[in-house]
Amino acid sequence: MARINRRELTNLLGAVGVVAILGGLAFGLPAADRSLPAERAVPDDEPYSAGAGVTVVPPSGAVLDVTGTRPGDSQGTVLFRVGPVRYAIAVRPFRGDLAAAADRLRKRIVDTTGYQVTSAQLTVSTAGGLAGLQGGYTAPGRGGRYSVFVADEHTIEVTISGNDLDLGRTLPRIEASTRTLRQNGEPR
Amino acid sequence: MTASVVRPAAGSPRVSALMRVPAFWVVLAVVAAGGLRMAQLAGQFFTSYPKATAASVLLFALLAVPFWLFVSELDFFEPEPTKLLVLAFAWGGLVATTVSIPGGVALQNLVAKLGSPQLAAGWGAALAAPTVEEIAKTLGVVAIVLIARSQVNSVLDGIVYGAMVGLGFQIAEDIVFAVGAVALAGQGDQVQPVIATFLLRGFLSGIWSHTLFGALAGAGIGYLVVSRERGGPHRVGVAVLGVLGAWASHVLWNAPLVVDGLGNGALALLGVLVVKGLPPLVLILLLVRRAHDSEADYYVGRLAELDDPELITGGELEALRSGARRASARRLAAEQGGRAAASAVRRLQRAQARLAASPSVEQGKAAVRAQRAELRRLGHPEAVAGPVSWRHRAWTIAATAVAIAVLWVALSALGGA
Repeated sequence: MARINRRELTNLLGAVGVVAILGGLAFGLPAADRSLPAERAVPDDEPYSAGAGVTVVPPSGAVLDVTGTRPGDSQGTVLFRVGPVRYAIAVRPFRGDLAAAADRLRKRIVDTTGYQVTSAQLTVSTAGGLAGLQGGYTAPGRGGRYSVFVADEHTIEVTISGNDLDLGRTLPRIEASTRTLRQNGEPR
Repeated sequence: MTASVVRPAAGSPRVSALMRVPAFWVVLAVVAAGGLRMAQLAGQFFTSYPKATAASVLLFALLAVPFWLFVSELDFFEPEPTKLLVLAFAWGGLVATTVSIPGGVALQNLVAKLGSPQLAAGWGAALAAPTVEEIAKTLGVVAIVLIARSQVNSVLDGIVYGAMVGLGFQIAEDIVFAVGAVALAGQGDQVQPVIATFLLRGFLSGIWSHTLFGALAGAGIGYLVVSRERGGPHRVGVAVLGVLGAWASHVLWNAPLVVDGLGNGALALLGVLVVKGLPPLVLILLLVRRAHDSEADYYVGRLAELDDPELITGGELEALRSGARRASARRLAAEQGGRAAASAVRRLQRAQARLAASPSVEQGKAAVRAQRAELRRLGHPEAVAGPVSWRHRAWTIAATAVAIAVLWVALSALGGA
């Protein structure tokens, strides 16, 4: 059996070093991310920015998940967790009407394998007068609600998901929160 | 960084020789793993959006062709072996991307957790993506060095391999972004978001993106490998500087700076491109030029030592020094002897470049003499550069004007979208 010489050993160690750094990037960083808690307490009596000038008052008992929260200047997302229920708001630039925005969100939902929209859409509105459309969907092992609003060339997409039992318990609080959605400049 | 250190390689490495290098098998396994992961991702894309995915693969593959030709032509005197260029491209497109997707997300999350969601929203992409991606791409050049160190024999070689890793990364990332835009549009399997992404990422931000960043990092690694007369700390320092330069250019490109001050629309987009993209572009082009000229001086000097006008004349030595003068020599040949003469000049220049790498090899001299005989037969015996042609200059200006007009239309379409 041929023995490995010093040069080959150095070469092999170099390659192992490269793999180790790749491993650090691909697995080490996600492990470090997982080791730190993502949830932060958030006051439920003052508006929280979802980005692009859109604010929402969090539901009582909700915590903020910082991994899904990116409130930027021109677009943004915010993710709350109410127990096991996921309450997400995404604000994105959009040129179109409410029906087109709702259609876009419904298509994105059904494009996800196993997801189906379940009911006709209802009109909803926020306390500040933003008009929106609301519907429901099912996913494997969970159900969900969505709402869409359009304001100032932005679409505000709200998705709520969890199992039916948890949803039934938390939906009133979350829908109350959704009604506090407000775009900058909109009268309180 | 562009010290005139050039160490000619002994020729293209055989696969059998590469297979005896332990790192070859490790790198091959890593590329295979990356390929498997990207194939899974592509499978998901094709399942959800077959038409859009096929369109994005086709468009960005076509975009890669001119970039590939340009990058692989940078080192005229000692072109890099195709198999190593393919490996560099595969590293960028399969390995660096596979690693960067989870690593980038995790680092952005860490910015949000250790800083704030607001910081992550504004600076997350500017801090996380360059940090993970530039390291992953630079490792591709390191992998080439481990596999075929003798093939990295000038700073320019490092630039070429680094640019090729960056090109692979850029193309794969663009495809992922294009299909992501299709999903976000929520209009089903439509091609329009792919075309918008192609214009924005392919043309407007493509030229000063990963290919350039990779070239800068590759220059640092090239210097580290070839500048053996320098001390270790100096070489490592320059290599780190190259990688940091790539990182800083990438941070500047991703940073939320300037964006807000210029408003919206085509002019604002053009302003952002110029302010954030042009400085790294100019810096890296100057570096490439210096590295190229440094290498050209070395090889032209070797040819001059032959002192044989049958192999190369004084005028041809001057023409061989730069890409512009080589092209000018081919144009002059085309004007005086037709396309056949231009092709013969191209072959002569290639033969002279090969001879420069191995001046003592009789086979190389015979190849040059054969092309010289062909040129004589065509009535154009010497491949010298022609005088500055007004026709060529006018053509260049017209082509530039058309390119700017196309860019302007694209900017307007995107700015008004």
